[in-house]
Amino acid sequence: MKIHLQDGTSRAFKGGPATVSQVLLSLGVNPVEVIVSRDGKVIPEDTFLGPDDVIRIIRVSHGG
Amino acid sequence: MKTDSGSPALSPVCDLCGKAAVFLDRIRNRHLCAAHFIDDVEERVRRTIQEYAMVQPGDRFAVALSGGKDSTVLLHLLRRLMPGADLVAVTVDEGIDGYREATLRSAGANTRRLGIEHSTISFLEMYGKTLDEIVREHQDRACGICGILRRKAMNTLARRVGAAKLATGHNLDDESQSVLMNWLRGDRERILRRPEEFGGQGFIPRVKPLMEIPEKEVALYGILNGLFVELPECPYMHSALRSEVRGILTSLERGHPGTMRRVVEGQARLSQHLLAVPRAARPLRACERCGDPSTARLCQACRLLHTGAGSETIVSLDR
Repeated sequence: MKIHLQDGTSRAFKGGPATVSQVLLSLGVNPVEVIVSRDGKVIPEDTFLGPDDVIRIIRVSHGG
Repeated sequence: MKTDSGSPALSPVCDLCGKAAVFLDRIRNRHLCAAHFIDDVEERVRRTIQEYAMVQPGDRFAVALSGGKDSTVLLHLLRRLMPGADLVAVTVDEGIDGYREATLRSAGANTRRLGIEHSTISFLEMYGKTLDEIVREHQDRACGICGILRRKAMNTLARRVGAAKLATGHNLDDESQSVLMNWLRGDRERILRRPEEFGGQGFIPRVKPLMEIPEKEVALYGILNGLFVELPECPYMHSALRSEVRGILTSLERGHPGTMRRVVEGQARLSQHLLAVPRAARPLRACERCGDPSTARLCQACRLLHTGAGSETIVSLDR
């Protein structure tokens, strides 16, 4: 699974089947603070991800 | 959890219509698709506007538009929920290099797209300096200083455009952060503020139609309506107490869904309770420098800008 992070970098996630929340928490990201999309479509945090999925993390918190 | 069995991965579906879900509501324990999520947000904002009687017939509404996601969503929501309302977008350019340019472009693009009148005022015009120049020696207190000066600038602009109300894009996260920050600072004045004192005595009344919508849902509403543009972060954001409080509250919200709502509701109950407590009104007078309403000889902004400009004044105001 490939993950595009909010800072513009990418990471691979190697593990068993996992939900969006579990992947985020493994990266130290609180699911309350981000929105995740797969193939350009927003998905809920309890969606199970497959090994070939590519997801993007969008940070929602914004100062100013 | 209902899922879409046709998908290679298990994907939740909307509890109302069976289409692919975009959101898990952890408080009400249900999934919503894009259309039902949008309907749900709009209905809750509509209820907030009605419950707090935010709109009176004939009101000219200034909408504080920074160009960020919250204020952009607010502008679109107000236009959608109140198609006949007299709206004018008002923007303060604080003068934050590398940040404000992009949000100002976004603000201009959105008002043009919606055909809404747009008016701007800058710190340079108001105070003769940009925020970057004002806080050069006080960067750790930039948010507090900016808040005082921005409120004055926003009030000036709202008056200039003839607005009866000023709508801001504060969401549930912002509101819960403010409550907790007041307690952490031991700010008795703000903790014990009565409902009629919100927004500041003598200022144009402020309303917050998004105050019951969590920040994540505001952002998702923006994404689903094509309003969300990734913008640079305010460079002063991480220096603020608010940034730490935000992390604490989102962590609590994760473990205990509904925490932010309960924090805000608790404060609201306290404010309502205070209505029954007799309290001598603090008389307002005109600030001796600028003429704005103030409870002291000088208003907060003038004390900040003109009395010694040194660190002592700024420290005392920013707590």
